[in-house]
Amino acid sequence: MKSKAWTERFMQGVFFVAACASVLAVALICIFLFANGIPAMSEIGFIEFITGKEWRPGSEMFGILPMIVGSLYVTAGAIIFGVPIGILTSVFMAMYCPKQIYKPLKAATELLAGIPSVIYGFFGLVVVVPLIRSFGETLYRSGIVKNPGNGNSILTASLILGMMILPTIIGTTESAMRAVPAHYYEGSLALGATKERSIFRVIIPAAKSGVIAGIVLGIGRAIGETMAVIMIVGNQARLTGSILQGIRTLTGNIVIEMGYATGLHREALIATGVVLFVFILIINFSVALLKRGADHE
Amino acid sequence: MSNKTTMADKFRTYLKHPGSFIVMLLVMLSAIITFAVLIFLIAYILVNGVPHITPSLFSLEYTSENASVVPALVNTITMTFLSLLIAVPFGIFSAIFLVEYASRGNKFVEVIRLTTETLSGIPSIVYGLFGMLFFVNALGWGFSLLAGAFTMAIMILPLIMRTTEEALKAVPDSYREGSFGLGAGKLRTVFRIVLPSAIPGVLAGVILAIGRIVGETAALMYTSGTVAQIPESIMGSGRTLALHMYNLSSEGLYMDQAYATAVILLILVVGINALSSVIARKLTKA
Amino acid sequence: MKMKKFIAVLTVAGMMAVTAAGCGSDSGSTAAAATDSGSSWDAASAITVVSREEGSGTRGAFTELFGVVDENDNDMTTLDAQVTNNTSVMMTTVSENEYAIGYISLGSLDESMVKAVKIDGAEATAENIENGSYTVSRPFNVAVKKDLDNAVATDFMAFIMSTEGQQVVSDEGYIPVSEAEAYAGDAPEGSCVVGGSSSVSPLMEKLVEAYGEVNPNASIELQTSDSTTGMTSAIEGSYDIGMASRELKEDEAAELDGTVIATDGIAVIVNQNNPTDDLSVDQVKSIYLGDVTTWDAI
Repeated sequence: MKSKAWTERFMQGVFFVAACASVLAVALICIFLFANGIPAMSEIGFIEFITGKEWRPGSEMFGILPMIVGSLYVTAGAIIFGVPIGILTSVFMAMYCPKQIYKPLKAATELLAGIPSVIYGFFGLVVVVPLIRSFGETLYRSGIVKNPGNGNSILTASLILGMMILPTIIGTTESAMRAVPAHYYEGSLALGATKERSIFRVIIPAAKSGVIAGIVLGIGRAIGETMAVIMIVGNQARLTGSILQGIRTLTGNIVIEMGYATGLHREALIATGVVLFVFILIINFSVALLKRGADHE
Repeated sequence: MSNKTTMADKFRTYLKHPGSFIVMLLVMLSAIITFAVLIFLIAYILVNGVPHITPSLFSLEYTSENASVVPALVNTITMTFLSLLIAVPFGIFSAIFLVEYASRGNKFVEVIRLTTETLSGIPSIVYGLFGMLFFVNALGWGFSLLAGAFTMAIMILPLIMRTTEEALKAVPDSYREGSFGLGAGKLRTVFRIVLPSAIPGVLAGVILAIGRIVGETAALMYTSGTVAQIPESIMGSGRTLALHMYNLSSEGLYMDQAYATAVILLILVVGINALSSVIARKLTKA
Repeated sequence: MKMKKFIAVLTVAGMMAVTAAGCGSDSGSTAAAATDSGSSWDAASAITVVSREEGSGTRGAFTELFGVVDENDNDMTTLDAQVTNNTSVMMTTVSENEYAIGYISLGSLDESMVKAVKIDGAEATAENIENGSYTVSRPFNVAVKKDLDNAVATDFMAFIMSTEGQQVVSDEGYIPVSEAEAYAGDAPEGSCVVGGSSSVSPLMEKLVEAYGEVNPNASIELQTSDSTTGMTSAIEGSYDIGMASRELKEDEAAELDGTVIATDGIAVIVNQNNPTDDLSVDQVKSIYLGDVTTWDAI
């Protein structure tokens, strides 16, 4: 009996240590990022760095406002395209999909997750960019927009990113929906609700935490994606008001210029990483707060 | 459920509830869009890649003439295996801690949740830079598969943790109570009862994680290096398929081989997914 | 059950229809683009300016040689220019967009995708760079630590600068830098790591293979990253030889000995449907400064 209790305690310790790994990892990344980024920020001037509209490292001008706005635009776009389609597709997978075609479809969504981003990039460049360009020209000719853009745009990047976050959202949402006990659904049907009403009023609310987790993971992937985005978004480091125009994202800024950057320029890029990191912290905190609010309902 | 409802019944229900009908249409439309995009994407890769798959692509040694994928393929498998070896135990153990051991409302649990979510949001390029500074330089491992695997392990940890957590939560409490009632200890309950029923969920996470590993470029570029050969040990440098593809495509000299590599990458992913579902079936039966 | 079958059929049919439509519309649009483009080149359309990233060796050389700089030599490339860090993305963008202009390394130029324009009447070829009529070029540098004591690395460097090494350089379409003597190394045993710029890497790969033939005793590992990683890793010692497609920075030159191993031309590229064949330095400059924004305004 005694040895058994000892193993129990020992394993509990092991589980605890494992749980600490993620905390340790974040702490290490934090230390590394801040130690390398903060000096550059103070040298450039924090306010100037965050609100500066011009990024010309060769002329010692480091303003990342366009990139901040760019990341926001592109991520929002990806959410608009990816989240509804992702959730509705997982509803299909969990509730509608006939057994005969379920397996191949499921395998297909998993495959979507394994396609490297470079492929998405080239696909976007060769297929989506020309489509968006002709779309822009059509709008321009009918006088809806002032500038047709050239296809490498916020809209293109949003579409491709929307595609890229689909498997993450579908995977998590579907398994969360399947985890909802069957009697919830049956009960709702027995009360006379239609299938759709039961799904959207009973199952999805019950699977809420999984659905939110999927969306958060998707947002994380959208903000963090670089290799595909830099091929199709144009990467102009300036502000724009049109989704048919190109823009540069925070991650794009790092990847594009890290290769050749030295000195203050390199540090400014790491500082860009710090801003990105703080961004993600803010998102996570607000989601955590939102969730807590929802749990108390 | 709908076994006994006929088409006519369905139709009548939808007439009465047009809202439901629209929702159903939306669901169908979304599924169609998703799979159309998918089929289109795969067709695009196949059309561009398959004609360029030649026997010389499978030479044992990489040279600038044949652009062989074999070393990269071996490296990809090694990298996936190593990263999972590190991340899966940590991921599952942390999830067990969070679901089975930690008391509700524990402040520490919230800290772990928050850090996990933070980890999942960190862009891969930042992981790459961190990996280079920490594993490659500070720990002195040099550009190596090991440095790459550790970086990847941190990257996929949140994925595995989250999916395992969800799967563990989905195991009904009656299972646990039944096991306790029969006199099993907590540890035994976790490993014999709870974890086995959560295996399919855990596996879903592992599959997503494998997808991320084989598709990753930015984080590995700075950690595992870009040598196009099979290293002698895990302390040597080697590039994975995705990185191989990125390198082939970046100067525009080997675009055809890059697409062919993409096809092989796809086949690899299909193979891994099939293998894991076989394992899942074996595990759930046992 | 009927319902399920119905849904299954509907789904499959729908998927096929959408896929077919997707393929159809796509091939249709590309075909249309290909056919109209010949006749309907619209010179009033806005130029899509594509540039490399700030700090890149290619961009540095380009802006300097074309004078896309202000009085203090600061890079003044228009902020409306698209930016990419990847040669094939540059080429694909220009080949997909009729109104685009970009620039790439001459060694990577694929004439089946894009058209290289003449600059001030001179065609972008290795001969013209050698005889000085085409002036847009930049050096490929390799650098070693000042106190390098790796016999293989030293011998490999000697090989690169030898007649055989420089022959490889010119075979690959780059411009050799020296009229050196034949390789006379003693084929030492051992290994060394070469790494850095992805622009230099394709050439270095050929050099490593050629060296393997004259010295089978040595094993050389080639890492492809970027110029800065190449230089910093050479300083730290994780690379024995670093590669850069730009000049060494001052702080790097303090620790490293740099050697120019080849010269690479920079080709200005446009879409194949673009009727422009010849641009002057000033025209290219005004396009990249953003002073000229349509093709008919040149």
